[in-house]
Amino acid sequence: MIECENLVKEFKEGNIRAVDGLTLSIRKGEIYALIGANGSGKTTTVNMMTGALAPTSGRVSVLGVEMPHGKRLVSGRIGVAPQEYSLYPDLTLEQNAGFFAKLYGMDSKRFRSRFEELNEILRLRGREHSLVSNLSGGMKRRASIECALLHEPEVVFFDEATVGIDPVLRAFLWDYFRSLRSNGLTILLTSHVMDEAGKADRIGLVRAGKLVDEGDPAALMARHNVSSIEDVFLKLSGKELTDA
Amino acid sequence: MPRSGRFSLGRSAAVAGRVLAQIRRDRRTLGMLFAMPAVVMLIFGFALGGQVSNVPILVENQDAGYAASFGATGAALNVGSHVLASLQTDSAVSVTTGSFASGKLGVDSGTYFAAVLIPSNFSQVAFMQVQGRNASAAIQLYIDGTKPSVAANVLSALQGAVQNSSRVKGLSLVQQYAYGGKFSGLDVSLPSVIAFVLTFLVLLISLLTVSRETTSGTLPRLYTTPLTAIERLVGYTLSLLVVGIMMVVVVLAVGIGLFGAVVRGDPLLLFGAAVLYALSQVLLAVFLSNFARNEFQAVQLAPLIALPSMALSGMLVPVFSLPAWIQPISKVVPMYYANQLFEGIMLKGYGVGMMAYDLLVVVVIAVLFLALAMTTVKDRMDA
Repeated sequence: MIECENLVKEFKEGNIRAVDGLTLSIRKGEIYALIGANGSGKTTTVNMMTGALAPTSGRVSVLGVEMPHGKRLVSGRIGVAPQEYSLYPDLTLEQNAGFFAKLYGMDSKRFRSRFEELNEILRLRGREHSLVSNLSGGMKRRASIECALLHEPEVVFFDEATVGIDPVLRAFLWDYFRSLRSNGLTILLTSHVMDEAGKADRIGLVRAGKLVDEGDPAALMARHNVSSIEDVFLKLSGKELTDA
Repeated sequence: MPRSGRFSLGRSAAVAGRVLAQIRRDRRTLGMLFAMPAVVMLIFGFALGGQVSNVPILVENQDAGYAASFGATGAALNVGSHVLASLQTDSAVSVTTGSFASGKLGVDSGTYFAAVLIPSNFSQVAFMQVQGRNASAAIQLYIDGTKPSVAANVLSALQGAVQNSSRVKGLSLVQQYAYGGKFSGLDVSLPSVIAFVLTFLVLLISLLTVSRETTSGTLPRLYTTPLTAIERLVGYTLSLLVVGIMMVVVVLAVGIGLFGAVVRGDPLLLFGAAVLYALSQVLLAVFLSNFARNEFQAVQLAPLIALPSMALSGMLVPVFSLPAWIQPISKVVPMYYANQLFEGIMLKGYGVGMMAYDLLVVVVIAVLFLALAMTTVKDRMDA
């Protein structure tokens, strides 16, 4: 479903090697959490998976299509909630959602029913006509998730999507993600909140652009003989300062 | 440590230092900081530095000369030739000789600024005047009244030439203005004011609108949707064209409605030409916005384009009076064609036929900017 092979991304500005030979494979219907410190290369990896960035070397494919060259073939089948809200602050929630729905070719009837359904799930009912700039941080985050899910994609990328969302709603969102997964949706999310990543089916730990370990949460904890994902992370990073 | 309640120059200095550091990091802004004043000063200096010169005029000398009293020696007097020779050495005008009728047609089509006819009895009248006999002759002048300052220069050159050649009274000048008469200062300035306002404001607003997409952080999401870069570009263009049309309506409404600007030609053609020009500026803005990383950089681009356009398009000084090496540059400034169009339609009453070339050039400019925008638009963050 998502394949990365020896993926490398270098940025000339600052001479940075943000992703350094990353290889991973994500199966259909899986919730995969890419975790790592800020600056470890998670967002750059996601951007290469979604076609927003081109790899310097290596390969990345989504739904069997190589990115970024084939992104037009799959862009209607993937959904993305970027790390930044990536919404128009001077438009209402409905205007934002309506705009993205049109980009995905949704007709107004389908949009209306999907919008209402997601507003209910994401606790955004009543805020349809609020300007995005007037929404709280958590609401903006949910609005961003809503815009990524509107067109019922087969693969979604949530880049730090649950940051700023209160614990109750976050637990609810995870239930929702699991229900989506049972319907065949593949979810890749990034997080630097370790306990949250423990709810994923599999975890990939990224450090300095490299995948340092991977597996289901229980197996990872057992392998490193610790009781939490955070401890796994600390063990692998040598308890050094995490900002790369 | 200064107490937080008191004014601290140190904190102000910290702010100033931070702002300067930001500017220093922003190489494009830094470049514009030095390049823009230098470029604008150079262009305005060259454009305004000289006097009105090289005004293209056509002269027909019909003067048959007068040989009556010099018949025995074979000498003949031809004052008209002296006038022509005097004009040919005057840098204020650039003289072509030909028939007065073709000169008038040339004035009507914009090739010449004035046509001059020296009558056949010009020398005879001059000779009779010298002898104290009563006679009169008139030089006919057919002149473009859309640029009063240039017309005054041509008139002065002609009067000087006549004065130098004959030094007699009784030789008069019959003036006829092309395009139906003299125009007020407001009449003649409004076409280029409209061109300038559309150049500056359409560019500015378009640049600001498009660059807002960059700064709002929505591009990373857009790059992942089925929206192609070209579709996005066309979307910007369509929306900004609506903005451009609204601005054209406002500019024309104020110009015509409030200031009573003369529109001798078809108002619909004027509107169409203005919209076409606004579209070319929208496309220029869409192209330039591909290079602006933030709204600040975008805002700087508008005066960088508009101010040199003002100097080079003929708004301040007629293009034929600019230094010879600058004149070809004027011909690639889009606002030059806007001036030609608005002046032609409003003051000269030109129709589509007479304006076809300028309209076509604006279309070519628009297509060129569209092509440039399409080849530079990004469809990835690192493209």
